Amino acid sequence: MAEVLVVSRKEVADIFGSKRYLILFALILLLSTFSAYQGAEYIRNNPEAGFLAIFSGAGFGFSFLQWMIFFGPLLGLALGFDAINKEKTSGTLSILLSQPIFRDSVINGKFLAGAAALATLTVSTVGIMCGLAIPMIGFGPTLEGASRVVLLSLLTVLYLAFWLSLGLLFSVLTKKTSTSMLSSVATWLFFTIVINILAYLIASLMVPVPSSMFRTGDLEGQGLDIFQSPEYLELMQRRIAVASTILKVSPINLYSEAALAILGVVQVLPGMDAPSVASGLAAIWANIAAIAVGLVVCFAVSYVKFLRSEIRPGG
Amino acid sequence: MVEPMIETRELTKIYGDLTAVDGLNLTVNEGEFFGFMGPNGAGKTTTILMLMGLSVPSQGTATVGGYDIVQESKEVRKIAGQLPEFAGYYEDLTPRQNLDYVGQLNGLSRTEREERIADLLEDVGLTEWKDMKVEKFSRGMKQRLGIAQALIKRPKLVFFDEPTIGLDPAVTKEIRDMILRLNREQGLTVFLSSHLLHEVQLTCSRVGIISRGRLVVTDTIENLTNKLGGEVGESIEFKLHKTTPELLEELETVEGVTSVTQENDRLYVHMERDSTMEVSQTIFKHGALILLMKPREHTLEEIFMKYYQGA
Repeated sequence: MAEVLVVSRKEVADIFGSKRYLILFALILLLSTFSAYQGAEYIRNNPEAGFLAIFSGAGFGFSFLQWMIFFGPLLGLALGFDAINKEKTSGTLSILLSQPIFRDSVINGKFLAGAAALATLTVSTVGIMCGLAIPMIGFGPTLEGASRVVLLSLLTVLYLAFWLSLGLLFSVLTKKTSTSMLSSVATWLFFTIVINILAYLIASLMVPVPSSMFRTGDLEGQGLDIFQSPEYLELMQRRIAVASTILKVSPINLYSEAALAILGVVQVLPGMDAPSVASGLAAIWANIAAIAVGLVVCFAVSYVKFLRSEIRPGG
Repeated sequence: MVEPMIETRELTKIYGDLTAVDGLNLTVNEGEFFGFMGPNGAGKTTTILMLMGLSVPSQGTATVGGYDIVQESKEVRKIAGQLPEFAGYYEDLTPRQNLDYVGQLNGLSRTEREERIADLLEDVGLTEWKDMKVEKFSRGMKQRLGIAQALIKRPKLVFFDEPTIGLDPAVTKEIRDMILRLNREQGLTVFLSSHLLHEVQLTCSRVGIISRGRLVVTDTIENLTNKLGGEVGESIEFKLHKTTPELLEELETVEGVTSVTQENDRLYVHMERDSTMEVSQTIFKHGALILLMKPREHTLEEIFMKYYQGA
């Protein structure tokens, strides 16, 4: 246990001293400040919106949630993608493993350090946002609101830790840091952009619009009414259902659904109370579990791979 | 009674279809300076990796300091230090911070580490640069840091894998002397892997020659030289004030002489048995004066080439 702490203490010192982390941290703080202003603005314009809207309300730019959804993966991947292979190529791993420690201390220590850095980042961002927004809008969260903020922070840390463990996996599977960096960027692009296109493409292939709908004679008489026909609308709904099922595998989607549910901003109709914390949690329990499973699987694979890896002559 | 520090039994490592180390049986005693020689890719590094517990043997067993290298590899790493061939250090840390990390991993307390690091930096001559980042270090300075790193745990045994490769002659000598001192003054068992014959000849009390994963021979350098002398005969080097073709011709007919060769101003007479007296008599008969005469010793290179080719 002491060995893990030695490794993670050194890693934490490395992370907090690294330019990479400081740049990301500065960027996130800057963007959170913007988001806090926007959130506060949104609350002023929409008096029914509660305090929590500072995290989700957006005007001309991105909200905190949107930033996390979009840039969170990069944050986690950036802290993990070179954890092991960098030490391998620079020759420090053979010295590290020549010490009287068990090999898993290295990977555990690195993961712990990364997760601690991400937690610090999340907590300080949320703290700063609350600190900025409360004086601006003149009121703070209720007790229930505060508990939602805590839950949102925990969910965000879990989400970021998932991407960290994926980055760690790349660093174990690849030899060069350039390869793991490219894999990380590719994964990020896939889940932020490509998967959406892919989901709708697959949906339109699985639910084709039969050509019988466009019988030549009908076009003359009905004009564009075909797009309003019940058959067509039903087809479109089936397509959306297929696409959203496909998108369910995306951790980004799992996170955004869960985060919106925790904030209680899902399907809030005017005059209706937001779902309670408990019922919100119950609804997105599967999402949280799925992210956690993803994290555990990525970490377990990297763990086993690393423990079994051979330190061969020449690196 | 000398205890064996390293003992391997049929130690084997197979990577895919390559047998890197093939049935290695080796014993290195406590306090010994053992030279592990062989050409590049012979299996030297793989052997060290297995002994340090960084690589799992495919077959066979070994103990280091009495500990099994697979079951008790953590215990092995407590008493054995290593300077790997392509060792690297955390470039954005100072040598002191690098050593401190290794010290922490060895469970040394803060005061122990401070004391030990100051001593070691002094020993390897890095005190002046103790707060400079390692990224600015030359190769020689990094290698000195590597030695300090291997010693911080106060090991009983240290593996040096090609420690002087790529260093200039002055640093090479310094590093070599440092390792020798550790062995002679502190009784540290040294396992030196090298393909530099000269280096091994200067330092090691006993050598093992490995070729294509197989241990070809282990013995003291003296015994190896004598053995080779017995097999290929002896040679005497002469420097004469004049040589004539007639003299060369007659020398070859002397009983016991196998051949005579001339290189620059030297004459080499190769014999299957000691015929030194007859040879000098013949030279004298031809009116030549002997300016220099000495038996030619077999260099490790000859020994090495013989065993290397034999394998």
